[in-house]
This record gives sequence, structure tokens and C-alpha cells, in this order.
Amino acid sequence: MEDLIVAFLRSGTPIVYVALAGVIAQRAGVWNLGLEGLMIVGACATIVTIRLTGSLPLALAVAVLLCCALSALLWFVVEILKANQIIAGLGITGLGLGGTALALTAIFGSEAAVNAPFGLPRIGPAFGAFGGLSVLVALMPVLVFGTWLVLCRTRFGLRLSACGEHPFAARAIGVSPTLMRLWALLLGAPFCALAGAELAAGSLQMFSVNMTSGRGFMGFAAVIFGAGHPVGAALAAFFFAFAGALGIRAQLLYGDRVPSALLLALPYLATVAGLWLSARLGRRSTASGPNELGRL
Amino acid sequence: MTTSTFTRRRLLQTSGGLLLAAGLLGPSAVRAQGGLIALVHTQAAGDAGPVDSMIGKLNQFAAETGMRARAIYAQDPATYETSFTTLGEAGASIVVSTFNEVAEPIREVAPNFPDTKFIQLFADPFEPAIPNVTTVSYDYYLGCYLAGIFAARMSRSGKLGFIGGISIPPINADFNAFKAGAQSVNPDITATVAFAGSFQDPAKGQEIATQMYSDGIDFIQTDAAATDFGIIAAAQEREGRLVSCLDPAQFTLAPKSLISIVGLDFGASLYNEAQRALTPDWQAGHVPTGLGTGVIDFIRNPEFIAQGPAELNAMAEAAMPEVDQARTAILDGSLVVEFNTNL
Repeated sequence: MEDLIVAFLRSGTPIVYVALAGVIAQRAGVWNLGLEGLMIVGACATIVTIRLTGSLPLALAVAVLLCCALSALLWFVVEILKANQIIAGLGITGLGLGGTALALTAIFGSEAAVNAPFGLPRIGPAFGAFGGLSVLVALMPVLVFGTWLVLCRTRFGLRLSACGEHPFAARAIGVSPTLMRLWALLLGAPFCALAGAELAAGSLQMFSVNMTSGRGFMGFAAVIFGAGHPVGAALAAFFFAFAGALGIRAQLLYGDRVPSALLLALPYLATVAGLWLSARLGRRSTASGPNELGRL
Repeated sequence: MTTSTFTRRRLLQTSGGLLLAAGLLGPSAVRAQGGLIALVHTQAAGDAGPVDSMIGKLNQFAAETGMRARAIYAQDPATYETSFTTLGEAGASIVVSTFNEVAEPIREVAPNFPDTKFIQLFADPFEPAIPNVTTVSYDYYLGCYLAGIFAARMSRSGKLGFIGGISIPPINADFNAFKAGAQSVNPDITATVAFAGSFQDPAKGQEIATQMYSDGIDFIQTDAAATDFGIIAAAQEREGRLVSCLDPAQFTLAPKSLISIVGLDFGASLYNEAQRALTPDWQAGHVPTGLGTGVIDFIRNPEFIAQGPAELNAMAEAAMPEVDQARTAILDGSLVVEFNTNL
């Protein structure tokens, strides 16, 4: 049982981190469909830098910087060039997925998977079966709470939300929605880097192309299912992870009777069901985001 | 004015001439320089398995023959036909690709480029055969049968696992053969199968393997390319967890858990077929290959032999005569393993 809880925490944590980035962007009025691309850049940068330099702090710094640069690019395209948010976000995802494959080829001469000699620090043997989890799993509740605190209990957070909800009102009090959206995307970038770092260096200590396998998009769905609230999105992310674990369990128990493709689709069916449920529960306005979301 | 007209005309004439020369001489020039050999792979590189092995051998072949090598990742099935057509138009001498999903695009494109030899690995034969296409099939499931015998001898719990990338007929057959091999040793042994839904999702592989090991399974056979990395990581988390993989490149990843492989050397197969394609008496058609040819075999991990627990190595040593006996029986035809694609 402990092993299953460990696996559940391990699979849910990267989605929570990437969902937090999505929440911050969504509150500021940006649908960030680039989460998948940012996440894989974070994963790639962490492992490649560890491999090349042997330094974890440097690896995390590089991952954060690259995610910030891509987020700034998204902001520039969306806010300055007035491109469609959805298309621009998908472009960032494509750039991340393709760019990491290209980077591997440029650095190592092939797209072969890269192993790192070590990964993120573990919680430690004092925690028994949970000792093998990375520190980012332990840090996750703190960061969820911190994000809630910043977004919901500080002037900065309220102004950020105002930029998504009523940008004209925000302008009226001297807040620039354009600038706040840049801050929102830059604030979310480290979360994407951490999501990628946890996925690649949490227990695997390796990077292979396309290894995010849609987890960034699941994070995006968690933002909607969680009604744009940090705690709600985190719970939604774990719900999707739970659905994924359930899909695996169902395969092990009923794989000889039910097609595996159907059982593997469980997390995605859960995503659709979750979105439907959040709309039915009367949270249409919050689930679909702030009023000005996407109207740029 | 006169100078300007003259210059523009000359420029257009020169450009047109160059384009015509490039268009007419391009393909033959490519062949004259030693030719182009291309690999169109439909799974991403970086799997420490089939694709990486093929790319490695492609480059080796090109270096040895003086040909130019190109590895092209065709991720989207909609691009397969375009990729083959482009290579044909570029005058490629040999185009290699893999798996059944490229069969129809090859059937469409190959007749248009009779001077290009197409090699499809892990394929069913074309009926009727196409004069410039070779298909190669592997009896990988026979290697899985041997792995099943070995696993049954190594398992203490009597519970075995099998993790595939995607549930497709050949992989289903691999699992059935693995199970049949295990039950030939111990009819009461159980074998559980699960699929990651992707050949490139190590995190999902780790999740599945963790659940399997938690259920008491102590030996997992993988068939999942890059997803294997996660399965290997899960095996390393506790002592006594054993995993058997696909490729010699994986040997060093887990010297104390990765006990064996059912090796399918795609790279060697590509190399062999490419070499055959350069011979003057090359003939198109179907090449069945596998156990007994050096392309497929059940192999113990030398790293595990050197670093693994002595007790497990002793058990493995004791199991090998039975595996060797089964291999011999399969090759001489006295043992027939069913190719069963139903789960």
C-alpha cells in the first residue's frame, strides 16, 4: 500500500507544479497552453545540465531561466504582437518538444536518452517507504499554500487577478495588465521548471524526448477543473493522477477482459468528466476563467 | 539600360540552367558520390533500444561504404508517404523503415522509384511482392518464450509481469509466448500484462512496474522501448526485484536488477539487409529471421553476472540449461511455440 501511495505522490506532483503555473497565468488573463513545452524544457535542462556540469543548483537555475525566457517569448507574442493565445501557447509547446530533441542532437550528437549521475535530493530513509521521494514532493504543499497566499491574500495577487477579471478597472488604478501578465508568466515559469525537474530527476534521473507525454496538458485541465484556484488545481491534479493509477490497477485486474486502450483512457475520461462536473456544479464563470481571459 | 537587361537575362538563364542541372543531375549525382542511405524511423530516438541501435548501425554502414546517411523521424503517419517520396526523388539508394504502419506508404511509393531499394523491418510480406522492396520479420516471441522459462525459474512468488508499450498483435504474441514459456515450467505460475500506452513514457512505466512489484510480482519482462527506463528505475528501488529488457545498451543501467534481455538487434538487421542490398544479386521479397541467426536471442546480463547477488546468479545459472534446451528444440522443430495475438 505504501508503495502505491508513493507512486501516486510521485506521479501527481509534476502535474501539481505545472498546474500552479497555469493558475497564475489564468488569473492574469492568459490561457497558457505552452505548459507542456515549458515542462519538457525544464526536464531537459535539468538533466542535461546535471550531466554536463555535475551541479544540481546550476541545473535548476538553467531550467528556470530557460522557462522564464520561453514564458517571456509567449508574453511578447501574445501581448505585444497580439497573437491568439491558444495558437501561441501551442507554438511554445511545439517549440519545447522539438527544441529539446534538437538540443540533445546538438549537444550529444543524437536524440538518445540522457542519464544523469544523480537526481534531486531525496527526503531520506527516516521517512521509511516515503524516503525515496524527492524534496520537491515534500515542498509541494508549501508551494501550493504559498501560491494561494500570494494570489488571494496579497495586494499583488489581487491586482494580478483584477487584470484577468477587469483589466479596465485595473488600468483605472494605475496597474498595467500587460505588465502584470508578464509577471504572471514569469512567476509561473519556475513552477514549470520544477515540474520538469521532478518528472525527470525526481526518481528517474533521465531525460528522453517527449517524456512529458501530455502531463502539461493535464495540468492545464487541472487549472480549469480546479476553477483557477491553487488548492483546487492541486486537488484536480491529484485526481487525474489517481485516475491514472486506477487505470493501471484496472489493467492489472481486468486487462484480460477489458481492452487496455480503454483502461488507459481513464485519466482522460476523468478529465472530461471533471470539466463537465465543474460546469454542472454552477462554477461556470470561474471554471471558464476570468472575464477577460483570452480577449486580448 | 542595355547592361541592366543583359545582366537580368543572363542571371535568369544561369539560374534556370543551374536549376535544370540540379533537377536532372541531382539523383544520379547522389548515386555517383556513393549514394544515400536513409532511415525513416516512426518512434523517437533515445530509446536505448531499436531506434538508437538502427541509427548507430546506419552511421557505421555509411562510414564503411562511403554513402551518406540520413535518419529521419517521421512522427506523424501523414508524413510517411511524403518522406519516402522525397527520399525517392532525392535519389536515395536505400531507404529503411520499420513496423507495419509504414507498409501502405511503401506500397504506394516504392513502384514510383524502381532504382531505390526499400527495406521494411518488422514487417509482413507484401502480396504480391514489390520488385524493389524487402520485408523482414522477426520471431521475437520465441525469445520471449525462453524468457518465460527463465522467469519461472527465477521467481520466488510465482507471479510474473509483462509491460508492453502498446497492445498490438506482435506484442500481444510476445506476452502469450512469455506466459506459455513460464507455464511450461510451472503450470500454476501467473503472468500479468499491462501496457503504458506509449513507447516513450518512462514515468508511466515506473508507475505500472511499481504497482506490479507491490502486488508481489518479482520478475518483469519489458517490451516498451524508452518506457523501459521507468520500469528499470522501479526495479532498482527494492532488492529482489528483477527485470528483463530488450537491448544490450540497457545492461549497465541496473547491474543489480536487470538480469537479462530478449535481444532483438534491429541495428544488426538493418546492417545485414543494407549490405545485402548492395550486392549485385540482391532480390526483393520477404526475409524471415530471428532465433538462431544472431538477431534475436535470450541473453543474461553480464553486468548482473558480475555485480548481482550470488544467490540469484546461482539460480540463473541453474535455469540456463533448460533455456538452452528449449532453444535447441525450437530450432530443430521439436518444440512449436504458438504465435497467439489475442489477449
